[in-house]
Amino acid sequence: MMRLVCPFCGPRELREFQFHKTLPAGPGSVFARTYERIDHPERSVEHWQHVEGCRAWLLVERNPSSGTVLRTVLLGGTP
Amino acid sequence: MKPPLPQHRPTRRYSAWSLLRARFTDNGFWPALWSGATLKDAYDVVVVGAGGHGLATAFHLARDHGVRRIAVLEKRQVGLGNVGRNTTIVRSNYLYPENHYFYEDSLRRYETLSRDLNYNVMYSPRGVVDLALSDDDFPALARRGNAMRLAGIDAELMDLAALERFCPELDARRARRFPILGALVQRRGGTVRHDAVAWGYARAAAALGVDIIEHCEVTGVHTTAGAASGVETSRGFVAAERIVFATAGHTGMIGNLLGVPLPIETHLLQAMVTEPVKPLLHTVLVYVCPGHGEVYVAQSDRGGLVMGGHLDGYPSYTREGTWERLEDVVQAAVELMPQIGGLKILRQWAGTNDMTMDGCPIIDRLRYDNVFVNAGWCYGGFKAIPASGAACAALIATGTAPDLIRAFRLSRFASGHLLDERGAGPFPVRQ
Repeated sequence: MMRLVCPFCGPRELREFQFHKTLPAGPGSVFARTYERIDHPERSVEHWQHVEGCRAWLLVERNPSSGTVLRTVLLGGTP
Repeated sequence: MKPPLPQHRPTRRYSAWSLLRARFTDNGFWPALWSGATLKDAYDVVVVGAGGHGLATAFHLARDHGVRRIAVLEKRQVGLGNVGRNTTIVRSNYLYPENHYFYEDSLRRYETLSRDLNYNVMYSPRGVVDLALSDDDFPALARRGNAMRLAGIDAELMDLAALERFCPELDARRARRFPILGALVQRRGGTVRHDAVAWGYARAAAALGVDIIEHCEVTGVHTTAGAASGVETSRGFVAAERIVFATAGHTGMIGNLLGVPLPIETHLLQAMVTEPVKPLLHTVLVYVCPGHGEVYVAQSDRGGLVMGGHLDGYPSYTREGTWERLEDVVQAAVELMPQIGGLKILRQWAGTNDMTMDGCPIIDRLRYDNVFVNAGWCYGGFKAIPASGAACAALIATGTAPDLIRAFRLSRFASGHLLDERGAGPFPVRQ
């Protein structure tokens, strides 16, 4: 079972978090950034929000094949 | 040199006569549904993925377009992917013409599929009831129903009195936290035995000479002079004039294989079934329960209540559903039918879905002129299988997309012709 660790609140239930979007692989046109996805089965970089907690926006790195979370940091800087 | 003709594999036709004959002969009377195919060096069409869409495409290529040398390559076994993991619901109650004409074609094919395949797929037109539980739901259902009726598809907007007659077990007038306001009913919608669809298509395709090769994983695509020349597999190279990828939840990986970014993310959808009980629900219920989200419930022929809900909510390949979503689905189901609150969940499972940016599928060429992709079925691929197979086969055989699937082209994302039925924007998780 996947569990996220909020940099402010510590480990919390997955229900408290909301996935927002997968980040594109690199810089590209607006179209590419909006619509195109390069599939990385081993590593996915995403925006999440701790909506039912401190409401911080988070940058989460996960492995979608194994379900493990590699890194959870505050979006745009470290707390 | 002329290519060798496919080896004829006799398949016994199922009939009252063959049943009677089997009664008086030994157990060896019934041959395997499909077996004995050996992988050859070259094919006219290689279909990657022996799920519903791949097998249906191969069947229609062989039956309708006379393509002789077809192989269906499957990483694992026939029907172990999403065709064996869905909640078996078939319907055509869509809002947009591009969608409802296509799914109506599919539903009509489902109505005669048992005869066409000579295999009982147990089509059960028990009705699909979309319930309105809020003031906003009802006008939205009315709009969808009117759009369907304009297209000649059966749709009935029911008030409480009519709903009570159609589905008395629901007790529509009962005081609830979220009272039922009405429903949109498609009587021809219902359920189809999902495994039988996979097995029926596999058997019918094998009888037409299609080689179904299990445990053969495609690992790469070979190209020469700007066209694909074949696929690299775990059993060696196979030359192919045309290649179709029908790999359901793993289409993102196919994009990687070909070096093409796709407007697809892979998400999980889970379903569950309760212990079998006596008949208590004769139709398919679909509704959005405020606070818990979407849920669809039907009772299987064995008696178990098969339930599903919305996506788990983040990209994943794990095929493990989250506890949170399971709880949502169960709560929404019990909210409407408190009488099922004491039932035990027997099994719960999840499938990987390719979610596109607008919630609609993609049937088109991919990068090369002779490589096709049949993908992006989101959480609704099962009900599309017969129409998708026929249309995809026509595209491969003739080179031009039939009108029915012209809207499902890959370039629609760049040209802005999205089929955003939910109006959710380019976020696969919200489709």
